[in-house]
Amino acid sequence: MNQLRRALSVCRKDFESYYGKPPLITWGLLFPGVLMLAVYIKEPKAYLGLSPGIIAMTLLFGNTSMSAIVVTFEKRSGTLVRLLLAPLRQETIILGKMLSAGLYGISTSLVLTVGLIFLLGLRLENPLCFVLGLVLGAVTFSLLGLFASVMVREVFEAMTLMNFFRFPLLFISGVFMPVERFPAVLKPVVLASPLTYVVELLRVGITGKGYFALWLVPAAVTLFLSCISWQLAVRGFRARSYQ
Amino acid sequence: MSSIYQKGEKDVVLRVEKLSKAYGDLLALNRVSFQVRKGEIFAYLGPNGAGKTTTVNILSGLLKRDKGEVTICGYDLDSDPLMIKQAIGVVPDESNLYPELTCTRNLQYLGELYGLPRVERVRQTERLLAMFALEDKAKVPFQGLSKGLKRRLTIAAALVHQPEILFLDEPTSGLDVPSTRSLRRLLIEINRRGTTVLLTTHNMFEAEELAHRLAILIRGKLVTSGTPGEIRRRASQQERLEVIFSREVKEEEVLQNCPAVVSVTIKDQGFVLAVAELDRALREVVGFAGQNGIRVVSIVSMPPSLEDAFVSLIESHQDNTLQEIS
Repeated sequence: MNQLRRALSVCRKDFESYYGKPPLITWGLLFPGVLMLAVYIKEPKAYLGLSPGIIAMTLLFGNTSMSAIVVTFEKRSGTLVRLLLAPLRQETIILGKMLSAGLYGISTSLVLTVGLIFLLGLRLENPLCFVLGLVLGAVTFSLLGLFASVMVREVFEAMTLMNFFRFPLLFISGVFMPVERFPAVLKPVVLASPLTYVVELLRVGITGKGYFALWLVPAAVTLFLSCISWQLAVRGFRARSYQ
Repeated sequence: MSSIYQKGEKDVVLRVEKLSKAYGDLLALNRVSFQVRKGEIFAYLGPNGAGKTTTVNILSGLLKRDKGEVTICGYDLDSDPLMIKQAIGVVPDESNLYPELTCTRNLQYLGELYGLPRVERVRQTERLLAMFALEDKAKVPFQGLSKGLKRRLTIAAALVHQPEILFLDEPTSGLDVPSTRSLRRLLIEINRRGTTVLLTTHNMFEAEELAHRLAILIRGKLVTSGTPGEIRRRASQQERLEVIFSREVKEEEVLQNCPAVVSVTIKDQGFVLAVAELDRALREVVGFAGQNGIRVVSIVSMPPSLEDAFVSLIESHQDNTLQEIS
């Protein structure tokens, strides 16, 4: 309980220091908002099909970038050492950092979704599935960002490392095209991407339909991926957080 | 939580036994052992690269050691890392608080991380800001403070949870004279209020002024430990004479005419002579002056300083290393 309270302190401090600052809020909202508007203006009927992908993309870029930037910045400024010196378990630090980055990603995605609902008439057919997709996606991507941050020393190195994976993922994860429309030869690659399952959960949440017969399938896979990401982040932190 | 204080060692706050750490082929710490007793200021001295910061990083749980045992306040470093972190306060060599947070918020946030209840956090923050004369800077962000004030707040932050022992890594490094003096007074005050202090430094004057006991580390090896007086006597066989003559005298003249004088250093208007035998050297210097019609304005015998002892230890250690290599 004590450790949980301390993780919440870390999260609250990160919001004060980073996530609550106007540049991050506008970056998190403007980028996907403008992209969504561009799609809507070009083809009003297409935006519904693309909205799960764009929201998932917002989560992917927002969460991996922010968690990695914050930790890399704190490593450079020496303030991460403060957390390592305090009576906190490594898991507590990771939980605090994950919560702050995750809440940032979820809140920017929710603001974007509310905007789409009120401005463009978006409807959520399965809100539970949508929220589950947001939460599990935010957790997984924040943890992957944390893992990347301890593998490098500089912010640009973290970005380079992550972009190596993130950009290809955009094209093979059903962000711009539903999974069922991919050629059979690419299907195994699509199903190997963690982003696919987050997009699928959001798609079921928005349209009520998805590639998988049951939404529990992408939910279970994303949950499994978030557990793997947790393990990666914990091991990465243990081995490399003080370097 | 198991406490492993041994019988008769209740006053030992920190015990380090045969601590070793290597970075690849470089042996940073070589079977280092020492103890710090409750209520003392213990200086851990050594030249740059001796292994002081490595030791502090191991003791504070930031670095893994290769070998050796460490107990702090009776807790083992491996089995009770969180209890140890709760018992220690660490001031790293760089002031590293959150730049965007105010002084008050920095202290309160650290209080949260150490599990202090809200009332206690507020009380401690006010107390520390007052103690470190930072009350008027309470709402100033850390990044807006001068270097000296940043250092003060960093030390205050390490005390927020009232640790048993405070590790200070080069606390006055890079500070101007007034800031250094006020910080030293604060350290004495912190110690007077009951906090044990482990101070790493390469500043001999600082160690001599502050420390009750000290240990000297050279190239990862602890070469001696004891009170400043003990170390001075042990390490330096030579005494010093400070002499002022009535007229200018060349260094070579003194060395040639006074065999008991080992070395001559010019200081202000006179010389500092390192001498092997004090009585003989006194006779020789006075005789040399008389023979040459020079008046001895003043001659003062001085015990070796800690700096002399330190330099002598470094030199003898380098000689030993050279002998081992050859």
